Amino acid sequence: MQHTMKRFDEEMVQLKEHVLSMGGLVERAIGHAVQSMLEQDEKLAVKTIERDRAINALEVQCDEMTRDILVRRQPAAGDLRFILAIMKVVTDLERIGDLAASIAKGMIQSEESPPRNFSNLDTMGEKVQKQVQRALDAFSRGDTDLAMLVIQKDVKIDKLYKRMYRELLTYMMEDPRSISGSIILSDAAKNLERISAHATNIAEMVIYMEYGHDIRHVDHDAAAKILAGEDI
Amino acid sequence: MTSSKNISIRDLKLWYKDAQALHGIDLEIEHNKVTAFIGPSGCGKSTLLRCLNRMNDRIPHCRTEGDILIDDKNIYDADIDVVQLRSRVGMVFQKPNPFPKTIYENVAYAPRIHGITSDGPKMDELVEYSLTRAGLWNEVKDKLQEPGTALSGGQQQRLCIARTIAVKPEIILMDEPCSALDPIATAKIEELIDELKKEFTIIIVTHSMQQAARVSDNTAFFYLGKLIEFGDTRDIFTKPKEQQTEDYITGRFG
Repeated sequence: MQHTMKRFDEEMVQLKEHVLSMGGLVERAIGHAVQSMLEQDEKLAVKTIERDRAINALEVQCDEMTRDILVRRQPAAGDLRFILAIMKVVTDLERIGDLAASIAKGMIQSEESPPRNFSNLDTMGEKVQKQVQRALDAFSRGDTDLAMLVIQKDVKIDKLYKRMYRELLTYMMEDPRSISGSIILSDAAKNLERISAHATNIAEMVIYMEYGHDIRHVDHDAAAKILAGEDI
Repeated sequence: MTSSKNISIRDLKLWYKDAQALHGIDLEIEHNKVTAFIGPSGCGKSTLLRCLNRMNDRIPHCRTEGDILIDDKNIYDADIDVVQLRSRVGMVFQKPNPFPKTIYENVAYAPRIHGITSDGPKMDELVEYSLTRAGLWNEVKDKLQEPGTALSGGQQQRLCIARTIAVKPEIILMDEPCSALDPIATAKIEELIDELKKEFTIIIVTHSMQQAARVSDNTAFFYLGKLIEFGDTRDIFTKPKEQQTEDYITGRFG
């Protein structure tokens, strides 16, 4: 149902569109950052770093719009949860942008001694990008099942990172000349793991936005109980 | 009968002639809490408020069914003394309505006719106590003999609250007590409500959702003479269970 005050509806739609376009830029940044590393494409890396400024600018814009809605509309209930979720989601997206830019910066640093073996960076990049995409779709549609999927998949991303880190460690022990390249790769993997954690935060805010339940910082069983309306 | 709750409304129905205004309201109001009644005009919230001290008795062709228990005693029982009931259940109205008497007399009048206190130092004490509790003493202590109507709107409303407190009620009903006041006077009344709930059970009808959110512990939402939802104010304003509540508090009713 629409607000009696139609301008309020328009403002909410606009804000959501801004968040989603910020999400679009962020998704692309992750893809390009990983691609620049795998293909040792410096131009793409520079472009990714520059794009981060646009992401930051959108964050500021979203915050301004959020502030205006808070001041002028004093949102309640579902509207309030939507606004609170956006305030958090925007921060997570901005951080994801920074992390993607860090991966691109790592690529530029690695130019002199590029990694000889990229381990599972391509797979991890794809999976993490998919996580962010799912989280944003869940946010856009208010799809709590999809949000729960993001939360569950995050554990797999953690495992993927640990496996990759161990693999890189063996390369470094075998051949000290691979150390600098391996550290850059390990940092990139760490950044991807952090990105997935931010996607999880977004997914948790989707749950809050839809149900008003806070499932942050609890394990999966407890989250299931909260969603079923039980006390934990 | 639970003793921690001091007002139980049971299947309360009310008709103005043939028009049913309340359709079987069930509600438990907690002692020493502020309960807000919200809802669009004509939803029955003021009607229900007025049932709590039987103000509706005065309206011709108004008929009620059901029970309102205050401390386990039905206030609609035949042996209830309505005057006595109204001293236990005080009321503050939308427009401040001090008597055309002095500030002192405004407060002293009810305790005198109820025989609570006789004139003299005891009455002086009660007047000071009531005005202090109403947050007005410091502003009027030097002009107690001036007419109550000479005070500002906000002060008049606090004088009406002092007048209500003077008979030591258990429950204070407030029917949009701030709708005629400016934001500063409103803030003072809201501050007072917060203070008064330590001693009294307060029920407030308000059209301002923000006011309900600010002052109340529990909120009841009414629509078309029915209680749609009742619960902790924080829950009502962040995650209401009923779609109608959500639509109303987010401004989607129309």
